[in-house]
Amino acid sequence: MIVPLEHILILAGLLFFLGMGGMLAWRANLIMMLVCIEVMLNAVMLVFVGGSARWGTADGQLFAIFIMALTSAEVSLALAMVVYLHRRRKTIDTDRFSEMKG
Amino acid sequence: MMADPHLLTILVFFPLAGCLLVLPVWKRPAAARPLALGVMTGELLLALWLYASWQGLAALKPILPGYLLVEDAPWIGAFGIRYTLGLDGISLLMVMLTAFSFCVALAVSWRAIGEKVGLFLALLLAMETGIMGVFLALDLALFYLFWEVMLIPMFFLIGIWGHGRHIYSTVKFFLFTMFGSLLMLLAIIALHLLHAQQSGVATFGLHQLIATRLPAGTQLWLFGAFFLAFAIKFPLFPLHTWLPDAHTDAPTAGSVILAGLLLKTGSYGLLRFGYPLFPQAAQTLTPLFYTLAIAGIIYASLVAFAQEDMKRLIAYSSIGHMGYVAIGIAAWQPVALSGSIIQMANHGVTTGALFAMVGMLDERAHTREIGAFGGLWGKIPLWSFFFLLFSMASVGLPGLNNFVGEFLVLSGTFTKSPLAAGLAFTGIVLTLVYTVRLVQEVVFQTERKPLPLADLDRREICLLALLALLVILMGVHPAPLLDLIHGPVKILVGGAP
Amino acid sequence: MNIYLALILLLPLLGGLCNALLGRLLPRRVGVIVACGVIWGAFACAVLAFVGFTGPVRVELGSWLAAFSFQAPIALYLDQLSLGLTLMITFVCGLIHLYSVGYMQDDPAWARYFALLNIFVFAMLTLVLAENLPLLYLGWEGVGFCSYALIGFWYTEEKNATAGRKAFITTRIGDTAFGIAIVWMYQLSGSVSITHLNSMGALIPAAVVTTLGLLLLAGAAGKSAQLPLSVWLPDAMAGPTPVSAQIHAATMVTAGVYLLARMFPLIGSSETVRAAIALTGGITAFYAATCACCQRDLKRILAYSTISQIGYMVLGVGVGALPGATFHLLTHAFFKALLFLGAGCVITALHHQQDIFRMGGLRTKLAAVYWPFLAGALCLAGFPLTGGFFSKDAILGGVAAQGGALYGGLLLLGLFTALLTSFYTFRMVFVVFHGEQEHSLSPGPLPQIMTLTLVPLALLGLCGGLLNLPAYLGYEGVLDGFLGSIPGFGGVEQASHADEIALQIVAATLSLAGLGLAWSRYTGSRRADALAREATGPSGAGFLLNGWYLDNLYWALVINPFNHLARFLWKRWDEAGIDGTLDGLARLTARLGGLPAAWSTGRVATSLFGLASGVAIILVYLVWVTLS
Repeated sequence: MIVPLEHILILAGLLFFLGMGGMLAWRANLIMMLVCIEVMLNAVMLVFVGGSARWGTADGQLFAIFIMALTSAEVSLALAMVVYLHRRRKTIDTDRFSEMKG
Repeated sequence: MMADPHLLTILVFFPLAGCLLVLPVWKRPAAARPLALGVMTGELLLALWLYASWQGLAALKPILPGYLLVEDAPWIGAFGIRYTLGLDGISLLMVMLTAFSFCVALAVSWRAIGEKVGLFLALLLAMETGIMGVFLALDLALFYLFWEVMLIPMFFLIGIWGHGRHIYSTVKFFLFTMFGSLLMLLAIIALHLLHAQQSGVATFGLHQLIATRLPAGTQLWLFGAFFLAFAIKFPLFPLHTWLPDAHTDAPTAGSVILAGLLLKTGSYGLLRFGYPLFPQAAQTLTPLFYTLAIAGIIYASLVAFAQEDMKRLIAYSSIGHMGYVAIGIAAWQPVALSGSIIQMANHGVTTGALFAMVGMLDERAHTREIGAFGGLWGKIPLWSFFFLLFSMASVGLPGLNNFVGEFLVLSGTFTKSPLAAGLAFTGIVLTLVYTVRLVQEVVFQTERKPLPLADLDRREICLLALLALLVILMGVHPAPLLDLIHGPVKILVGGAP
Repeated sequence: MNIYLALILLLPLLGGLCNALLGRLLPRRVGVIVACGVIWGAFACAVLAFVGFTGPVRVELGSWLAAFSFQAPIALYLDQLSLGLTLMITFVCGLIHLYSVGYMQDDPAWARYFALLNIFVFAMLTLVLAENLPLLYLGWEGVGFCSYALIGFWYTEEKNATAGRKAFITTRIGDTAFGIAIVWMYQLSGSVSITHLNSMGALIPAAVVTTLGLLLLAGAAGKSAQLPLSVWLPDAMAGPTPVSAQIHAATMVTAGVYLLARMFPLIGSSETVRAAIALTGGITAFYAATCACCQRDLKRILAYSTISQIGYMVLGVGVGALPGATFHLLTHAFFKALLFLGAGCVITALHHQQDIFRMGGLRTKLAAVYWPFLAGALCLAGFPLTGGFFSKDAILGGVAAQGGALYGGLLLLGLFTALLTSFYTFRMVFVVFHGEQEHSLSPGPLPQIMTLTLVPLALLGLCGGLLNLPAYLGYEGVLDGFLGSIPGFGGVEQASHADEIALQIVAATLSLAGLGLAWSRYTGSRRADALAREATGPSGAGFLLNGWYLDNLYWALVINPFNHLARFLWKRWDEAGIDGTLDGLARLTARLGGLPAAWSTGRVATSLFGLASGVAIILVYLVWVTLS
């Protein structure tokens, strides 16, 4: 069964906005924000894979694998930093961190 | 004799190699200083050797007419950028001045710079490469590269070893210069594209670009961009305000190089690139150029008279002296142009010497305020003697060097524009007014504050005696230098309006 | 000839360099012998050159300025005029050097003094011998520098240093005009050679010649202290007295006259220029003579009299009486140097007292000074049969020969000035040497060399007339004949013999009248009265004492505005105007940059809001594109 590209795009869009909405909602919790970012990235991967299937080329799948490798690295680093932050500041509420002010 | 064109590459990059050599002994001033001195002396000897053999080189007739040595190699093929270096009489004079000024700058900072000596020396050497490149590059892209390279070490020199408001001054210096040079970069690229459109050849080479036919309007815009970049470096009134600040807050070595060389890159660029590339536009803007130059001479002399800081006074006097160089270029006439080029060298020596002397005084007294001194002739007669000598050279006393340049400039300019030359003559009186005020209040009269001052030591005497010898030699017997630039000036003037 | 000419210049230069560089290491005796020896050596060379002189010679010693068509080599030109002046300069300066040995015997800075004195002689000789104008300008500026350094020789006093500065700047104002004239002549003829330029006269448009002449006149006025640039010379007396004698009386100040005489073939063709020169000279002569009548400083009297006498010379050049002007230049050099050296003796003997009202009765106590000084005074006053009498008459005769209202007026002015000259000269002599001594100053001993050097000068001054006796005595004057072959010097309009004799009788009468007037006022019973009245300052004397308040005028018109303008330009224009604008621009840029920077609060919430709104904007755009 061939799933039409439109359906995949709609699903990816839904996933993306779900992730974004989650991020906006869970600002108080860094871990939840990371989870939501993963959801958004997955939406992007879905688009790549869908596109790859639609045009019959391997590029999109390649990108998806790249993104998977990157996100796993990124999540492990990010989680380590979250643990570190929690140890230092006893909180993971993002509104408490504003040292990056320009 | 077969001259090796790679000599020019050596001339440009030998200081940079020296810079790399200094880095390992970064932390040990006792080793780094002699090393740097060795490199700079070697560079000076190389320049002098080239000078000694210039007539032999001229007889060989390299590919470009008027040049003594030319080195040419492809560099970035996609844009037609080539690595073209060329040495003619004018650049040889500038090369000698550069090599010499750096030796002076090193000598005056031998004791004065005590912190981060290694870094200081490395920056000086890197800057020498940049300035040498500016005076030798014949490819506009290469020229621009060197133009920016020489800027960065100076930025750090003032920023790190300066005094007073040195951060403000160095940022101001950097912004002024960058503003001009970015416009120039745009103009260079535009010229490159126009030339490619016309002839289908992508090139940045000066001698190819000269052939570009440009409509008057375009030419005016492009020349305007070049002119602005060079006028800031000159500096011409009213773009001069970075100079007094930069000079006042720079370490002595920085002042020597600023006055001796960086200002010259502006005038050199104008006569090597600006005028030959855009002759008609240059002619159109000549009245403006005259006006700015003369306004600068009179204005800077007046402002110099009111100064209370010795270094600031000499900085303003620099603006006035460079005004003569400017009107000589504006006249674009062989005698005046020869005068301008000689004046570039003369001003480098005289003003460099004056800055060095003020630096020596500052080291001893820890002040440069004119009102703090007085009666120095009785306390430090040797210093005073040299100071009087260089001051008199600076007011253009005949028999000393500045007179040669100024008088040739005025003579030549008068044949083109009597009004401009006549007005510039008033500068001669004004220069005297502020200089004798400085001399009188510092060297003569009686001491105003009891300062413990020691007279010159042996290193300083040697340095100043050498400079004094040059001042007199160039004033009494300028013929060898005038011969050196005769050919190139003829070619320059022949190709322009 | 070449070797003599080269030595004439090189000897003083080497002597000067020797004392300047090694003076601190040499024993005093050696340095002094070198300094005097080189000048007398130069004099010997000048005499040898005179003996071997057959006609004008041009000698090129080396190249100097050479760029394309601008050629100014180090070339010398020896003709009768420069030869005569060279002889005079080396001789008078030689005597003054000897005098200085005595005068400076207690001064520790003798090396600097003699070095500058020697270099001055070098520069002065370059000025006189130069073949082209830039080289002449080298000498011209060189003497200016030496004058500056020597006026301020005792630099610890602000007054002296300021006087030096004033002299340097004032003369340089004139030099600027001279410089413009040089480059203009180069533009006109493509050459700066004096001989070449002098032969160009006919080819240059008359209006241009007039302007050139006026520019040269301005240059000469600066150097020769003529109106309106005369203000520096009275102040220049702050220097050591031998310097006043050498530079500010005998040699440097006459350079302007030399320049005008040298360029006369070129500029003399313009009627306007001649009239302007004559007018400047005549009025200056009168102006300075009036000022001299009221001075109370011995050296200032002499300074004003120098200005006045140079005024006569300039007047002589203006009417074309070049031999007369040169004649007066030579005799004036002798007698004015004599007067200054005599004054130096008096001042030294009285422990640096310069106020003539504190002198008096020195005739017997300083007899060795009195008699030579009197000889000099007689010459200055134009006492019949002295050198000054003949030379001044040669000039006045030239004025008389011109005719016309302008020159008639100038003749009357010149004659009246002669009366004033005689009056102030003898006022000075009588107040200083006659009567009873005021106050309790007893003359100290003088080095013998100082009084001995006065004698040859006195003889030359008194007998100077023999150089050029008037034509009515039946033969041509020696000097006239010698100078006659120089372009411009020959063919001078001569007054008839009867007129000339009449003129000399009038001049002699005026000179005697001045003497009588001074005699009746400053000797005998009326002396005390006159002195008391002048010491308190009679009404109107302040005007003359201060040189017609020219200094105050220049302060108000030039110097104060200059100071204010300089300060204004620096503070208001440079710092507040240009820099202020640019700093404002920089601040504005920084503030503009601050606007978007306010968005980066560092809080994740703000970033997220930015992300969401960005996505929203893209969506809205896509919808809009799809719908339309």
